[in-house]
Parts: sequence; C-alpha cells; structure tokens
Amino acid sequence: MEDILIVKGGTPLYGSIRVSGAKNAGLVLMVAAILAEGETILDNMPRIRDVEVMTFILNELGVRTEWKDDNSLAIYSPPGRIKTKTSYELSRMLRASNLFLGALLGREKEAAISLPGGCDIGSRPMDLHLKGVQALGAEVEIEHGYIYACTKRPRGNNVYLDFPSVGATENIIMMAVKTPGNTVIENAAKEPEIVDLANFLNSMGAKIRGAGTDVIKIEGVSELKPVRYAIIPDRIEAGTFMVAGAISKGEVLVENVIPTHIYPVIAKLQEAGAVVKETESGILVKAGDKIRPVDIKTLPYPGFPTDMQSQMMAMLCLAEGTSVIVENVFENRFQIVDELKRMGADIKVEGHTAVVKGVKKLYGTKVRATDLRAGAALILAGLVAEGETVIEEAIHIFRGYENIAQKLNHLGAQITVK
Amino acid sequence: MGRFDQTVNFSLHKDGEDKVRIILQTVYEALEEKGYNPINQLIGYMISGDPAYITSHNNARSLICKIERDEILEVLLRHYLNEK
Repeated sequence: MEDILIVKGGTPLYGSIRVSGAKNAGLVLMVAAILAEGETILDNMPRIRDVEVMTFILNELGVRTEWKDDNSLAIYSPPGRIKTKTSYELSRMLRASNLFLGALLGREKEAAISLPGGCDIGSRPMDLHLKGVQALGAEVEIEHGYIYACTKRPRGNNVYLDFPSVGATENIIMMAVKTPGNTVIENAAKEPEIVDLANFLNSMGAKIRGAGTDVIKIEGVSELKPVRYAIIPDRIEAGTFMVAGAISKGEVLVENVIPTHIYPVIAKLQEAGAVVKETESGILVKAGDKIRPVDIKTLPYPGFPTDMQSQMMAMLCLAEGTSVIVENVFENRFQIVDELKRMGADIKVEGHTAVVKGVKKLYGTKVRATDLRAGAALILAGLVAEGETVIEEAIHIFRGYENIAQKLNHLGAQITVK
Repeated sequence: MGRFDQTVNFSLHKDGEDKVRIILQTVYEALEEKGYNPINQLIGYMISGDPAYITSHNNARSLICKIERDEILEVLLRHYLNEK
C-alpha cells in the first residue's frame, strides 16, 4: 500500500490548479442519498480514501454504489428496508459514519451506529447529536460501543445546540426532513457544507430554510426523490494550495473555488505579505518578498478554520518574527508541532496556544503525518525545506486530498509516492 | 470638516437598479433551469450570504457576487414599496 510521500524541496510553484469537490460535503451527501429511494448521482465527488470507505459502509447497509466516471458517483438506494447497523470495522475508519444516525432514523426509524473513528485530533463527543435526535422523539441507548436509537412517534421540535456542531446539525437535519412537523435548530453550525446538504435535500423535495445561518427551520415531508447534484468545491483543499503558492515563493492560480468560503485564509495570507487576488477564473496567490508573522485563532465558520491551522503554521515557521496560534476547536491539534520541530522549526506549545518563532530555513527529514491536515502541512513544509522530506503514514493525506502529489507536481513540485 | 467626515446617504441610480434586475433575472433563470426553487435559493443567499445557494450554471454564482446583498435588498424594497 502506498503510504510514504517524498518531497524534494526548493522549487517555487507556478501555474493553475483545480480544486476537487469538498470531502466533508461529499461524505454527508452520500449519507443523505439514502433518504430518497432510487438513483442519486453526485457529481464533483473527490476520489479519496474517505469516500471509498463511505461506499463500503453504504454497500454494507444494502445500498449499491457505482462510479459513473472519474468524479460522478451513483448511489442506488433500494425501495423497502435497508440494514440499519454500521460495522465497527468500517466506522472506526471514518468519523462521518456517525451521520448515519440521523439519516437512518429519518428513513428507517431506527439506527445502530458504531461509535466512530477518524483523525486523532481530540475528543469529539456525540452528546449534541444524541440531544438532537432525542428531541425529535428518538430513544437512545449506548451499549458495547454502539449507539442504538429508534423512534416510534417522531415529531418535529426545537433544538438548541450548546455548540454549533457541524455533525450534530447535519444529523438533526437528516432526521428532521422526514419527521412530521416543524423542527427548528438554534445555534446551528453555519459551515458551507451545511448549506450544501440543505441545497441537496431541498432539490430532493425537502423543506429547509436558514442553512448558513444560526437558525435552521425544517418542515418534515413524507417523501424525497433522487436527484443529480454537484458538490461544492473543497475550501480546505483550496486554502492548502493557496498556502503552497505563498510558502514556495511562487504564483498559483487556484481554480474552482468559492472565495467567500475562505475569506479568513485570504485575509491571513494577505497579512502575511502574500498578494491575493480574486479573478474570473479563481484566486491568484503570489508570494510576498518575505513572510510576515501573523496571529491566528481558530473558530467555527465563518472564523478561521481549524482545518487550515496546521498549513498556516507550516508557513509561519518561516516568517520574519513570532506568530501566535490559538486552537479553539480541537484540543489535540498541535501534534504536528513535534514533526515541524524535527524539520528545524522553533515552536512552543502551552495549552491551546502555539508560539511560532520564525526560522531562516527548514530541513528535510523523516516525519509522520499524524492526521490529515498535519500531513498536508508537512508537504507544504517539505516544498521549501532543504533536501528531502519523507512523510510516513501518508495514508492520512490520501483520506482527504485527491491526487495531491500529481496536482502539486503539475505546478513544479517534486513529490513521489511510495 | 472635509466631505469624507460627513454622513452620506447612498442611493442606487437607475443604472445600478437595472444591473441588479438583470443579474437577479439571470440567476433566477439559471436556478430554474437546474431544477431549484429559485425563490428559496435566493432567500437562502440573502439571509446567509453563502454563494453556495446559487448554482454555478450560466455563471450565476459569479454574477450574484458582483453586487452587494444590501444593494439587492434596497432595489427589492424600493420596487415593492413603489408598487403599493
């Protein structure tokens, strides 16, 4: 199995690069497709490991999947009942498997969900997901690592989320669209992936309003119809490529991106000295003469995304001065620090805060992708490091980035997969 | 006091109104062609500001981003109140 990336540093990146469909939107839409019987086709679906695992979970439930072409995935949701229990073996590989809770409750009125896996970036409890489905009438028990939920008389209700959890918002929406009555989610997550889910479900016949704001209103319907739908571009992949242009001292045009979705990244890159321009065909990033230090605080959308924190940290390792990064979303998202320090970075971590003192140079060495975004950040660091950077456990990177080596190599990078 | 220190009332001229109308019409048609409920999608965009509500079909997403939402609202309100 290909699990090692070797990055030869020192080449500025030039040219244009196209962003794939959003991983986190694609995964939830694959789950939501089971709410309609028949053939749903999802276009712009990235060919990544997480999507592959999700197809295995769907197949296991009795839902057939087929790639129609490179990025169009057909999901055949059969009439009648499907299985309602996800397996531990697959669920532990994919955090998004927890989204079957709401979707199966919406479709089958019962679900048995193995407590999920995913990146080891901190505790991501299911409390709010459970609070939501319980408010809509589900009875829930947790036994032997499984969540068992069923509902005899589901009904719409008001749900206040103590934290704007993306997963909880998605689970509640997927249950509520097929639950009689009106549901209102207050303090809902506002991420673009929520809007994409609402757009997808509304095109199937659902009645959802307010997605993208903190109050989402859903009127339950009895039936949804399958559709063909194109997934939004991946804002994190876009941001990663933008940093690639800036850190490598190059000039990169990032195509197929919705600029609104990455304004915080644009703003921070500009603060760091890069020239960022919105053009008709995408976002152009030109490296500045030097990298200026920048302070960053991660927050739920529309704040600075935690999924871009590691990549920015890699760049700020080479800033002319000291940057402060505060991680407010996940408690275990500084694992990359030890890897960057192996490359010569000067970073100190205290609790949720990392102090990054810029150094003149990074050096290629053997490092480990501790999670998906950390892996991407190590590629970025490797692009400018002296010598070769060998990234082990690169499987984490392939979980979320489609053809990342080929795409960056197209811009002049020298990355090999082993 | 210089003129930039004073409170200024902004108002869209006829050209601005026409631009908003043309863009809204184009976006509406693009959404309809792709099978969406155009009114629901435009409401979603207006209250959230997320361009993901607007299809990229016929360049509709880029077009809607060329005008500020407050400009759209001004034209809509002005038109609605004048009609009454």
